[in-house]
Amino acid sequence: GHCVCAYLFLTLTAAEPWPETATLYQPLKEDQILLSDCASSLAVQAYLRMCGLPVRVACKANAEFMSPSGKIPFIQVGNQVVSELGPIVQFTKAKGHSLSEGLDDVQRAEMKAYMELLNNMLLTAELYIQWCDDATAAEISRPRYSSPYSWPLSTLLAYQKQWEVRRKMNAIGWGGKSLEQVYEDVSQCCQALSQRLGTQPYFFNKQPTELDALVFGHLFTILTTRLTSTELAERIKSYSNLLSFCRRIEQTYFEDKGS
Amino acid sequence: MATAMELRCWGGDWGLPSVHAESLIVLAYANFSGAKVTVSPIDWTWKTLTATVPELLCGDSAVQEPKQILNFLRKQRFNADYELSAREGADTMAYIALIEEKLRPALLHTFWLDAENYASVTRPWFASRSPFPLNFVVPSRHANAALSRILLTKGEAPLHRITEVEGKIYSDAKECLNLLSYRLGSANYFFGSSPTSLDAFVFGFVAPLYKSSLPSSSLQSHLRHLDNITRFCDNILALYFSPPPPVQETMDANLQKLTQLVNKESNLIEKMDDNLRSSPQHKPHRPDPKPSLASEKSSTPA
Repeated sequence: GHCVCAYLFLTLTAAEPWPETATLYQPLKEDQILLSDCASSLAVQAYLRMCGLPVRVACKANAEFMSPSGKIPFIQVGNQVVSELGPIVQFTKAKGHSLSEGLDDVQRAEMKAYMELLNNMLLTAELYIQWCDDATAAEISRPRYSSPYSWPLSTLLAYQKQWEVRRKMNAIGWGGKSLEQVYEDVSQCCQALSQRLGTQPYFFNKQPTELDALVFGHLFTILTTRLTSTELAERIKSYSNLLSFCRRIEQTYFEDKGS
Repeated sequence: MATAMELRCWGGDWGLPSVHAESLIVLAYANFSGAKVTVSPIDWTWKTLTATVPELLCGDSAVQEPKQILNFLRKQRFNADYELSAREGADTMAYIALIEEKLRPALLHTFWLDAENYASVTRPWFASRSPFPLNFVVPSRHANAALSRILLTKGEAPLHRITEVEGKIYSDAKECLNLLSYRLGSANYFFGSSPTSLDAFVFGFVAPLYKSSLPSSSLQSHLRHLDNITRFCDNILALYFSPPPPVQETMDANLQKLTQLVNKESNLIEKMDDNLRSSPQHKPHRPDPKPSLASEKSSTPA
């Protein structure tokens, strides 16, 4: 069994090689995980596959509360626990695995900027649709989020989460946005990504970087997840180079393992 | 014809047309795009409490938030991004997102939550620009908004404590400044030979950090080592905000009053001097009367 308290021993021992027992934790895949967490988890999985680092995926109903930062997903490598893509990229770099080593300073600036564009617009839009659109919140987000718990805890936790996300939306000025405006933001974000990608296979041509992993995680999840409305996926489908980008990464990094 | 546009924003100081980052973004973009905007500072009015700043008023419409105001100006054909390619437009969005996610939290912290800076720079400035009794309310309202924004966006559930995130937001911000410095390189502007939206955003967020005299800020000292970014700010100030902003005009007015006063005084002293000299106790040993220091003709350059 694993030690839940492993994150207490967060001393960086960089020299240790990547162990076979590395594990990625996320909420239950079938009836609990939400779109935004699923996207973040897929992005990390894609990143680790691009690095050639094996990881076992473990679904835990209390993954959110096991994570040291409260964010999904997190990985346990040896006795260390790291959550979210950014810190995980730094962690693998300390162990000698990096996808962005070959980029120059200006390219690295550009890569980080596009990663923040994704967090700033697409991830925020996902959270907005999940928790601030009443239909989605009532039919999908609250029931799924609270599925492992029994009443009244389930109701309490779901509303607590919704309240927290809504406070965040108000703080960043998204509280007053309409659903239509949010879809418009998604379109703008996708258009920018599509322009930047152009006809290249990856954002920095031949080799994928963490930006490719992040974009893939979000776009692929949106395209394959059923919501109350298909509008979100439709917005992405108008950019054909983004669609073939998703297919390329799926085929290259995910399909051989599935068979 | 274009209707008159009025921009409500916080006023200027520290050699800047506005000390408020979001106001500064809009002012810079308006100057870059050649939009004629009447600037009405909200200083010393009740709007310091009630108005959302910056706000652009044009006819019946009121637009808030820098991004929306810039979009509105573009629709009025004041477009500083006209010559950008689609790819450069995408880069603009990405770098603005980078600044908002990585630099802005640390700037909010530096000005509103760092106890020393808040007590000696930010609170006195905003309190002195708010009419009584709002001077007790306005600064702390901003500080509270900054705190909750940082905690809700960067804090980690379930504890949400500010000390846990301070280290992270400052290292993020320093990295962001470095990335902007790499991207700018030795150029004058981010894209080509004229300034665009991205230049307005970078200038708006960075210039107050550069120009304010903060008692404690590691971020400010970090910025001062990035020569190309500080040169970028000075360059925009010189090219797009001179003749000098209103602050300096009031300083000039004060200076004028002062010279007038000194003139009067020196006239008085001269008279006294004359009286003394002509008095029988003192023999005049230096009979050359100095020409008055600041007679009007000699002080104004030709």
